[in-house]
Amino acid sequence: MEDAGGGEETPAPEAPHPPQLAPPEEQGLLFQEETIDLGGDEFGSEENETASEGSSPLADKLNEHMMESVLISDSPNSEGDAGDLGRVRDEAEPGGEGDPGPEPAGTPSPSGEADGDCAPEDAAPSSGGAPRQDAAREVPGSEAARPEQEPPVAEPVPVCTIFSQRAPPASGDGFEPQMVKSPSFGGASEASARTPPQVVQPSPSLSTFFGDTAASHSLASDFFDSFTTSAFISVSNPGAGSPAPASPPPLAVPGTEGRPEPVAMRGPQAAAPPASPEPFAHIQAVFAGSDDPFATALSMSEMDRRNDAWLPGEATRGVLRAVATQQRGAVFVDKENLTMPGLRFDNIQGDAVKDLMLRFLGEKAAAKRQVLNADSVEQSFVGLKQLISCRNWRAAVDLCGRLLTAHGQGYGKSGLLTSHTTDSLQLWFVRLALLVKLGLFQNAEMEFEPFGNLDQPDLYYEYYPHVYPGRRGSMVPFSMRILHAELQQYLGNPQESLDRLHKVKTVCSKILANLEQGLAEDGGMSSVTQEGRQGCSYLVASIRLWRSRLGRVMYSMANCLLLMKDYVLAVEAYHSVIKYYPEQEPQLLSGIGRISLQIGDIKTAEKYFQDVEKVTQKLDGLQGKIMVLMNSAFLHLGQNNFAEAHRFFTEILRMDPRNAVANNNAAVCLLYLGKLKDSLRQLEAMVQQDPRHYLHESVLFNLTTMYELESSRSMQKKQALLEAVAGKEGDSFNTQCLKLA
Amino acid sequence: LALKVMRLTKPTLFTNIPVTCEEKDLPGDLFNQLMRDDPSTVNGAEVLMLGEMLTLPQNFGNIFLGETFSSYISVHNDSNQVVKDILVKADLQTSSQRLNLSASNAAVAELKPDCCIDDVIHHEVKEIGTHILVCAVSYTTQAGEKMYFRKFFKFQVLKPLDVKTKFYNAETDEVFLEAQIQNMTTSPMFMEKVSLEPSIMYNVTELNSVSQAGECVSTFGSRAYLQPMDTRQYLYCLKPKNEFAEKAGIIKGVTVIGKLDIVWKTNLGERGRLQTSQLQRMAPGYGDVRLSLEAIPDTVNLEEPFHITCKITNCSERTMDLVLEMCNTNSIHWCGISGRQLGKLHPSSSLCLALTLLSSVQGLQSISGLRLTDTFLKRTYEYDDIAQVCVVSSAIKVES
Repeated sequence: MEDAGGGEETPAPEAPHPPQLAPPEEQGLLFQEETIDLGGDEFGSEENETASEGSSPLADKLNEHMMESVLISDSPNSEGDAGDLGRVRDEAEPGGEGDPGPEPAGTPSPSGEADGDCAPEDAAPSSGGAPRQDAAREVPGSEAARPEQEPPVAEPVPVCTIFSQRAPPASGDGFEPQMVKSPSFGGASEASARTPPQVVQPSPSLSTFFGDTAASHSLASDFFDSFTTSAFISVSNPGAGSPAPASPPPLAVPGTEGRPEPVAMRGPQAAAPPASPEPFAHIQAVFAGSDDPFATALSMSEMDRRNDAWLPGEATRGVLRAVATQQRGAVFVDKENLTMPGLRFDNIQGDAVKDLMLRFLGEKAAAKRQVLNADSVEQSFVGLKQLISCRNWRAAVDLCGRLLTAHGQGYGKSGLLTSHTTDSLQLWFVRLALLVKLGLFQNAEMEFEPFGNLDQPDLYYEYYPHVYPGRRGSMVPFSMRILHAELQQYLGNPQESLDRLHKVKTVCSKILANLEQGLAEDGGMSSVTQEGRQGCSYLVASIRLWRSRLGRVMYSMANCLLLMKDYVLAVEAYHSVIKYYPEQEPQLLSGIGRISLQIGDIKTAEKYFQDVEKVTQKLDGLQGKIMVLMNSAFLHLGQNNFAEAHRFFTEILRMDPRNAVANNNAAVCLLYLGKLKDSLRQLEAMVQQDPRHYLHESVLFNLTTMYELESSRSMQKKQALLEAVAGKEGDSFNTQCLKLA
Repeated sequence: LALKVMRLTKPTLFTNIPVTCEEKDLPGDLFNQLMRDDPSTVNGAEVLMLGEMLTLPQNFGNIFLGETFSSYISVHNDSNQVVKDILVKADLQTSSQRLNLSASNAAVAELKPDCCIDDVIHHEVKEIGTHILVCAVSYTTQAGEKMYFRKFFKFQVLKPLDVKTKFYNAETDEVFLEAQIQNMTTSPMFMEKVSLEPSIMYNVTELNSVSQAGECVSTFGSRAYLQPMDTRQYLYCLKPKNEFAEKAGIIKGVTVIGKLDIVWKTNLGERGRLQTSQLQRMAPGYGDVRLSLEAIPDTVNLEEPFHITCKITNCSERTMDLVLEMCNTNSIHWCGISGRQLGKLHPSSSLCLALTLLSSVQGLQSISGLRLTDTFLKRTYEYDDIAQVCVVSSAIKVES
């Protein structure tokens, strides 16, 4: 149904609106199909049903008892104008005779809602945003064409932008996962696309990491500790049958495991730089500090085994078995079954905050903005962690890309044979996780694609018996599997997410079942169990780990179901999460209560909130009290009692003045109570008090929304916020919440 | 002065994107730490997507009939001079009427620079279609100049529900009402109340819950809400009140049954309420004389007599003098005298009649062949297929 019919004309309010005439006719037709009659002046009892007029032929054919459509209105107005909705539009210039001038009225173009008042730069971005967002909110199956889906509806006057701003991306739906293309991005990527591939010659700084470990062991041990230790340690594990054959090529350098062979694109047979005893001697020197290298080694390998355990699919298992019993060259794996990842885009560097500063505050101010980028940190995991923790995720993604490039999986390398190491997969995990955190879901999807379902043979340690002798299990970190599954829901395929999560859950459950029977994770006889008490503690630790993993999967499922708005199942799933994370029971019950509130089921919400009260009574402490107060506040919110809700939020602030949620929510309540200035004061005070903590996009979004409502000078105030942001936030800051564009 | 308007739909809860890792992964505890530091996550349960942070409405959204339209109206002094005698008026223009929504119509004496006048208006939307919010501001500048401006905000009110009804007439004068309620909005809808307010002639029983172990359980189970486009069926049983039931003539033709009262809630308790127009039904026509069954066995033995009780009601406006004739059919054989006088029957009065008959054929048999003749008008009323009985061989033990 066209919005255009009613929309363009801006009638003087006294004249009650003629353009209505056209749409109702169309709607009349439409309604004939769905409901039998809107008139409400006929009655269908069994006797006369066939005789009643207005029954659609379709209904007759179906031989269904005719249902009579009833007019639901207190008024006599019987026109079911379900056609469209308008967002509030400013129809006349403030100068106001009430007649906004004829030019928009005359234009029947779809974008005909342009108002004379609207400043062009104001109109363009917001009109692009609004339809998309609403489209996302659209429920599948509702066929009514809403006007938001119509192409550009020019935004009229600043006032109204309040109603049509895009959601901040992190608010879940409404976010269009697209690559951020800041002006600087285009240039940067082009430039870097031409930089020579680093595969062949790792940059000097990289070699500190991928190269000789002994040389820089202070930092490398950090890395070896967590990742590669077991690769060689497990040689000394008597339980592990090491094939470790033959002919160590002379190039065996300590730390080779971490270093990609520049031309490494062979099958498993040839790929492995064989592990010879000599390098281990070197590396064990790194651990010389620990009392008993052997014991450490053993426990490390146990931890690896526990963490890496995974049950490959049938086909993959076959390949892995063949590799284990191989004769040289006997195993041929189809290229399609190998994982050949590569960067799909090589630079998303760029700093949206700085771009905005350039635009609004000028070059001088922008020059002050200093954030770390991939160049300004050490080209290693240490630098990477540094970037992540100071929230320069874009730079971190970039650095991951460089490190991967050094590993031979750089830009354009997708589809080329390569070999994987613990580190390369960890790097991929970090890169993809950061992309998801940044909301760049499509990019993440592109780069995830070569990994398939994360079950290809070359993603298992068994595939590289020479590199990782005796080591078993999955190179893919468990968290990456979760990420892989969850990603789909952000791309609008929650069903696929659920499917993947169920697969992960099946494996987790199977492993847990094996462990509970005293077997090894993969169902084989546990080599450790023979060692009595020690084995027992291993088992206990393993069970704990896998239970928590199973709980994590359930969490993801519940989140996914929530996203799908299947609230009944979501609530069920959250209930089952409690079993795995009993310590989170009050939080989860509160969450379920909030879900009920969201649906509008106040009674059920109240019931859950009461349960929370019972649970928290057992544990005293501030947190429990705050939770109970928070829930009461939400309940009052659900009962439309903003004043009471505000009282409770304020109460929390008295106990915990730094509580960001209570602070923000109290301010929101104030707005609904008609106290815009007070609300603004509270939010501003909060942001000033602790910018590091409170410059959160939701808070800023509320703040900018109120600025827009408050005065025509919102722009200056927003720019002041931008400056505050510039001083505190990294390049991952989502600038959309500032609504500056 | 500048006027700003924002619709106050309920705030929403912020959802975050949880990304976690394990201790052994490259970032170590970093990702989890980042989530803990994020104020929008739930303290202690960071993976829970639904946070506690409220965010203001991001767009106008949809507004539906029966909901309450709330809006913030702010008049701000953008100038650097004091403005006097400010009057803010908010009217809502619908296709049929114009309503004043301002809380107060008194003028504000003065407004200093950078101060504002705030008003939150509420209005329960009672009409479908285009609404225009008209905000008018008049004031006097320092120079004594009288200023006046208006702004218009247009929005469409949509239909939230589709309600379809259907009546079933039972033999016993009860009426069953089946109501299908479909959620036409785009958000889940919690049905807080769907009740039938009967007209004076009826008592109503809701048939939407079952008693399980002493507890009333909704027939809809735990699914307390309606997803968009979902439909739910409600069933009601209406019994005519005694004083009306006795007088058969009264419930006749088109009668008003009552109306449905529906209260729903959506996001964070946003409430809506609608009533249907009066539901009407055509009472089944019984002609002049109505014959209904009071008692009949469901299963009888072959070739054994059984009894039925009929009730004959005079639905016409005149007195009748009735003669009962009983005609045998292939299977049904009446026992007793055909053509007996039933005597005079006054309008709206009835008499009960015990009859005996037997069946000569097994199976489900239709009872037919009763004829009533009004001797005053010489008019005969035929009653066939009054009821059915199951006839079984007497060898099988009949339990009832």
